[in-house]
Amino acid sequence: MNDDAAEKGDQMAIGNQRGRQLRHIVRINEEIKKVIATAFTINLMAMNAIFLAKRAGTAALGFGVLSNELRRFAIDLQKQMAILSEMTYESVSTVTALLKQARLNQMLERTLDVCEGLGRRLVEDALHSRLNDMLAGRQEQSDAVSRRLTQMIADTVQLVELGSVLARSAKIEAAYGGGMSVSLTQVSSDFEQSISEIQGSLEKLTKHHLEESAA
Amino acid sequence: MKIAETIFEDGGHKWIALVRDPKRPHHIIDTNEYLIVCDDDAILCDPGGSEIFPAVFSALSAEFDPSRIGALFSSHQDPDIISSLSMWVEFNPDIKCYLSWLWAGFVSHFGGTEKTFVVIPDGGMDILVGGLRLQAIPAHYLHSSGNLQLYDPKARILFSGDVGAALLPPGEDGLFVENFDHHIQHAEGFHRRWMGSESAKRDWCERVSRLEIDMLCPQHGAIYKGEDVARFIDWFADLEVGVLKIP
Repeated sequence: MNDDAAEKGDQMAIGNQRGRQLRHIVRINEEIKKVIATAFTINLMAMNAIFLAKRAGTAALGFGVLSNELRRFAIDLQKQMAILSEMTYESVSTVTALLKQARLNQMLERTLDVCEGLGRRLVEDALHSRLNDMLAGRQEQSDAVSRRLTQMIADTVQLVELGSVLARSAKIEAAYGGGMSVSLTQVSSDFEQSISEIQGSLEKLTKHHLEESAA
Repeated sequence: MKIAETIFEDGGHKWIALVRDPKRPHHIIDTNEYLIVCDDDAILCDPGGSEIFPAVFSALSAEFDPSRIGALFSSHQDPDIISSLSMWVEFNPDIKCYLSWLWAGFVSHFGGTEKTFVVIPDGGMDILVGGLRLQAIPAHYLHSSGNLQLYDPKARILFSGDVGAALLPPGEDGLFVENFDHHIQHAEGFHRRWMGSESAKRDWCERVSRLEIDMLCPQHGAIYKGEDVARFIDWFADLEVGVLKIP
């Protein structure tokens, strides 16, 4: 393969890479939407659990405290996911700009193939300065967004781990709920189930993010 | 690569037609681009879609320094007219794009910045290229609702955009109309379907027939010259447009 063909192949590969990145971001966003919906459900469930604990009286004091904590957890998670959602939007903007640059570069490569003389020199200069700009600017921006997203996902995983501990503790407390024990156990199982769904979504989200970063 | 053909020359004043790319993929409609040069300045009429940019740029650069093109004229908003905008901006970030006020916000999706666009009011306006005064004249609803054409009174040439366009079959790719009666059959279906307003058409025919025109240059198909110009205007005046007959 000669240098021209190799460079053209590179441009096409860059375009394909950006396309893959966009598809991963779309999947990340889908998982974020699922987590937000589940967090909303946990919030409602926690309010219900607070009422149940009040009805159960002193026997369910501990369960009531944990339900309050779970509600706070759900609100914190919703906020965290909103920030993640904004960050993925930022990623979409950056990757779209890179995709557009790659397409412009492809078009310039095609122009270079058919140009001679002055036109060829102009296209070569344009390509040279564009590649320099791209290497210096957009790629760095993309990497910075990706690093922040990695950190934010790690923080969210930790937060959800806390939620999981709270749900397990609520299950233990439910056993001391006296006459309301069965209902409280059911509610705490629902908490566990919902948080487990969130953990599943976060695992998928992390996988897509790692694949997006690798692309 | 397209063919660059000088169709008018008077000292530093030139019209160069960029036409007929033999390597054009068949799923992309063929287009004509026209470069109007006045000494060191130039305006490119309907620069074309991004897919054909390499063919236009290479043909053009053999005749004129592309970085000296000061302006683009966009007859309307279609992708085959102006989707290459971002590529032209790449070579001259200060390039201006003249177009109907109606489309500035839409065409900016193809590229350019706020400073790129010079909007033309509905009544048209003069455009200076070097020492040459060109006239952007209204042709609204023919076919676009914000549609303009460019008249060069000195060269007596009208760039007519989609008016006069013909979809030529393979093998009939002459630059000029040679047999009007034969040629016009390739223009009829296009005009019946694309030209949406009978009253706009009548108004255009009335105004344009008062201009001195030696060549009428459409964005698709062959150029009308000499008596074929008046023949075309008469034919168009009589053609029923804006009526879709679904069988």
